[in-house]
Amino acid sequence: METLKKLVPSDLNASKWVRMILGILVLALLVWRLVDVILIQRLYGPDTWARFAITGLIIGGMYALIAIGYTLVYGILLMINFAHGEVMMLGSFAGYFVFELLAFIPSPGPENPEQVLLNAFPVLSILVAFLVGMLVSALAGYFLEKIAYRPLRKAPRLVPLISAIGASIFLQNAAMLLFGPQRRTYLNPTLLDRGLGLEIPIAGNNVLVPYTGIFSFVLSILLMLGLYLLVQKTKLGRSMRAVAEDKGAAALMGINVDAVISRTFIISGILAGAAGVMWGVHNGLLNHYVGYIPGMKAFTAAVMGGIGNIPGAMLGGMTLGILESLGPAMLGIDFQLKDVIAFTILILVLIFRPSGLLGERLSEEKV
Amino acid sequence: MKKNVTALQKGLNTGITLGVVMVFLSLTAFTVVLANIIGDSYRPTPVTYGFVIALFGFFGGLMASSKRGLPNDDWKNVLTSSAAAGLIGGVILAVPLAVLGSIHLNGTDLRNYLVMVSPDVMETYLFGIGLLPAILITVIIFAAGAILGGAFNKGAARAEWRARWMANSQEKIRSAWQAPRVQQVVAGRYSKLFFMVGALLLLFLMPFVWGSYWNYVMGTVGLYILLGLGMNIIVGLSGQLVLGYVAFFAIGAYAMGLLSSPEPLGIQLGFWPALLASILVAALTGILLGLPILNLRGDYLAIVTLGFGEIIRILIKSDSLTWFTGGPKGLRAIAQPAIFGLKFNSDVNFMHLILVGVLVGVFIAYRLQYSRTGRAWLSVQGDQTVSRATGVNTYQYKILALALGAAFAGIGGAIFASRNQFTGPEDHVLMVSINVLCLVIVGGMGSLPGVILGSFVLKGIPELLRDLTDYRLLVFGVLLVVMMIVRPEGLWPTRRPKLEKQHLSKYDPDNDEASSEEVSA
Amino acid sequence: MTKLTLTNHPPVVIEAQSVTKRFGGLVAVSSVDLSIREKTIYAIIGPNGAGKTTFFNCISGFYTPEEGEVLFYGKSIKGKTTDRIAHLGISRTYQNIRLFSQMTAIENILVGSHCRYTNHWLDAILHTRRYRREEAESLAKAHDLLKFIGLEGLGDNLASNLPYGAQRRLEIARALASNPKLLLLDEPTAGMNPQETDEMIEFIRSLRDNLGITILLIEHDMRMVMGISEYISVLDYGMKIAEGTPTEIQSNQKVIEAYLGPGAAALQEKFSRGKDE
Repeated sequence: METLKKLVPSDLNASKWVRMILGILVLALLVWRLVDVILIQRLYGPDTWARFAITGLIIGGMYALIAIGYTLVYGILLMINFAHGEVMMLGSFAGYFVFELLAFIPSPGPENPEQVLLNAFPVLSILVAFLVGMLVSALAGYFLEKIAYRPLRKAPRLVPLISAIGASIFLQNAAMLLFGPQRRTYLNPTLLDRGLGLEIPIAGNNVLVPYTGIFSFVLSILLMLGLYLLVQKTKLGRSMRAVAEDKGAAALMGINVDAVISRTFIISGILAGAAGVMWGVHNGLLNHYVGYIPGMKAFTAAVMGGIGNIPGAMLGGMTLGILESLGPAMLGIDFQLKDVIAFTILILVLIFRPSGLLGERLSEEKV
Repeated sequence: MKKNVTALQKGLNTGITLGVVMVFLSLTAFTVVLANIIGDSYRPTPVTYGFVIALFGFFGGLMASSKRGLPNDDWKNVLTSSAAAGLIGGVILAVPLAVLGSIHLNGTDLRNYLVMVSPDVMETYLFGIGLLPAILITVIIFAAGAILGGAFNKGAARAEWRARWMANSQEKIRSAWQAPRVQQVVAGRYSKLFFMVGALLLLFLMPFVWGSYWNYVMGTVGLYILLGLGMNIIVGLSGQLVLGYVAFFAIGAYAMGLLSSPEPLGIQLGFWPALLASILVAALTGILLGLPILNLRGDYLAIVTLGFGEIIRILIKSDSLTWFTGGPKGLRAIAQPAIFGLKFNSDVNFMHLILVGVLVGVFIAYRLQYSRTGRAWLSVQGDQTVSRATGVNTYQYKILALALGAAFAGIGGAIFASRNQFTGPEDHVLMVSINVLCLVIVGGMGSLPGVILGSFVLKGIPELLRDLTDYRLLVFGVLLVVMMIVRPEGLWPTRRPKLEKQHLSKYDPDNDEASSEEVSA
Repeated sequence: MTKLTLTNHPPVVIEAQSVTKRFGGLVAVSSVDLSIREKTIYAIIGPNGAGKTTFFNCISGFYTPEEGEVLFYGKSIKGKTTDRIAHLGISRTYQNIRLFSQMTAIENILVGSHCRYTNHWLDAILHTRRYRREEAESLAKAHDLLKFIGLEGLGDNLASNLPYGAQRRLEIARALASNPKLLLLDEPTAGMNPQETDEMIEFIRSLRDNLGITILLIEHDMRMVMGISEYISVLDYGMKIAEGTPTEIQSNQKVIEAYLGPGAAALQEKFSRGKDE
């Protein structure tokens, strides 16, 4: 850390004072608000805090899944996959249509002629929805890379970023033209009704933890574990790490770099697709714009954890989810300003610790 | 890198790609909209729709019969390839149409799921006849178009007489240009001045002729030129990718609004002081934003500034700040400029104001670009470490670029708010930043003519294609990707000045003994 | 051409006093002393990874050494930013050519002279008298430098379009444009054939002879180092193991060992003795 700081003496030194003053200001503001809200005003009871934290954790799991996609791609191509949020959105739509279709077909079973497939086989329906969502997102990721990024592998760094922005705009508007701009309500099987949940008594009040939330959280943890095993234990994981380390050397060692990059996009797509379906199942709302904000937040999370670092992305996602959910209450500000908190955290992280929580320090340029 | 494939394979590949694109265009009803444009009506007819299908087929035939990837381009290969492309493309297009068609004929309105596919559109896809004949006709028309395309490509576009004709006409144009009389006029002493005065006069008169609609459109283009000039300093010259440019625009607009509108602050300064304030506030924001973050790497900078733009927008919109920003309702009754008591309130006046702004802006940007300052920026863009070690205080120059770029955005925002007499949170969405960035890149990074061309392409042409409003952003996205792949340097790439030539023409080359001693001293 | 000329007291341009630079646990440069007098051509040599470039970076301000001092005409420049150091009169070239490739050759030189002028953005917009004077002056000077490096007439080409040797010279011209007192050359003949190398040697000599610039260079090519430099320091594993005139260095046992491995010196001695007999 020390040495790398010395690698970029020039500009860091010049802005050191600015950053210090800014840091003191931010800290002072934070302390003032926290003391004011928690100790003096006592706006919320422990049950409310717990509810905020649980909500944050659930959303954080989804952020983490999307953030891993950013991190994987950044680690290998050193580019921000700006269209990743849209990949998630496509997965969300795929899951939605699976549920709609299953709710359309009557159950073949004789016992209850009124029931539709969706509720007759809820577990299977959910499984199919997730699989289709993941498949669609994986395909989207694959073709995105193949069409919009692969021809630009050797271009200056700005070029693929612009291409990614273009792809993002295209996908968003394609979804709008296909499915319309209106908000749709995700139709869950009754098993995962958004009103149902566990009641946990905290400080005399019952806090409802929705089943959708528990389900999403568990699923995201499982997926993250799976990804971790994939990256650490399998041959594909090894080659992914090798390509991230040094593309040229990896190619010399007989690794098919193009194939590894393609697979990285597929894996990112799978995780984003799962997050997309979860988003729909848990939050219930869907339109063509649904990927944008989670995508931005997840990128923030990836940067927070240290971009290129997979455990970092997971930690960053969870942390961001919780901070964002607790933030407005802790600071005692309008809940509309939730997104401001996420973006402010992003800026502060980049200013004070560009390497993120777990990442190695990325200097501007190495001499 | 592509392996040599047979004509059939190439045709199939092209056909599959084209077929998938066609399916997408059909599901979004783009084909029908095109048919409407061609037929100049609000309802497509089977004839115009069939023509559109054939047109796409023709295009596919052109692609399938291009020389690249074909083993050789004799008639047999060309026809095989284009016919294969046409048939497979037609079939791929026909299958989903058949599915949708049967659902449609069942009486279901598809718009619940595919919003653009109304019963009318569906009827067009079915040519008003039964399902099976319609499908057959679609495939046949498409394939026929493709074969025609292939034949045209081989028979006309690639034929020898065409090449000869092209060369001939080029030669003619060149000799006409080089004719002594033409050269005399072009290189004449006052012709440049005459030309400039003429152009200025034309620019001055146009707003009177155009009418208010075009004044509005061209005014928007002008404002985007101003924004593009500022963005060009930041991205094109100093090489910092800033995605939150809209923040400066918003700050300019809101400074104008807050200082001159009766609500919510009621300061009600006039237009000119408010304009000055807008510029200063925007530039100051640029500096303050730049101070802590300019040591970040390119794409990090992009994201931080993007976040900053979003923060500004959310803050403007927030209910809790309504007392200061007017909240979601925005600001109304913003002052309009006046010179010597003469009120600017017509569209013509604003068009003139914007024209003056653009001319001054181009002048300033031009002088900056080709100065010591501009060269320092370019060197920062090229290699920051080396630039610094060469003696450029990169940090200061980056902040300067951000401040000046922000000032341009501030002017743009202020005029924008004053022209519309209104500004609200929805004027300042991320799309503005992306539009400005894209016009700079599409025009050509660091190129002033590129900025102007880019503004016309990205803000002017879409206005011409009113019928395609819904598809504008879609096309825009595709355009960006294609542009980056095909022509990343932009439509009008930047050219560096010929300084050595300029120097030699100014000083007699025989007479520079003296100055060479200066160096050795 | 030995100690005698050096003790003739031209002022010391640059002096390194036990400069140490670490990267984590690795000591890249370990307490190196060095002092270079005016108008000398001084070379630093050493095997790969000996810390030559790191030492260079300490002098030009890219790195700040953890210990020791770097004095330029007796004043410390340690911890100063690279642009300040360039302003004081030290400029450098790079091992792998780093020109501003999207700018023309003459513009590259103009950027090089950036720190010698003071006009700023307002001057540029208003074309003040200062702006016009400085612009004409710097352009004339850039043109002369272009001539000096033999690229007259090619000044309006993009730097990236010039041939390799021309790019090397252009990089030196860019460094010269700031009227440096000390010029640091990082492997100026890397990737050149023998003829180009000879031309470069002549060129570097002419810099010293005609412009009176002190030159410190890093080089791998022994033939070149021995042919051009008047004084040599040898680095190995970050430490200075020898210094002296080319002839002294050539016969230094430590140096031979450093280059060829331990035992090589003895072997060589044996070999040369055998030849004598």
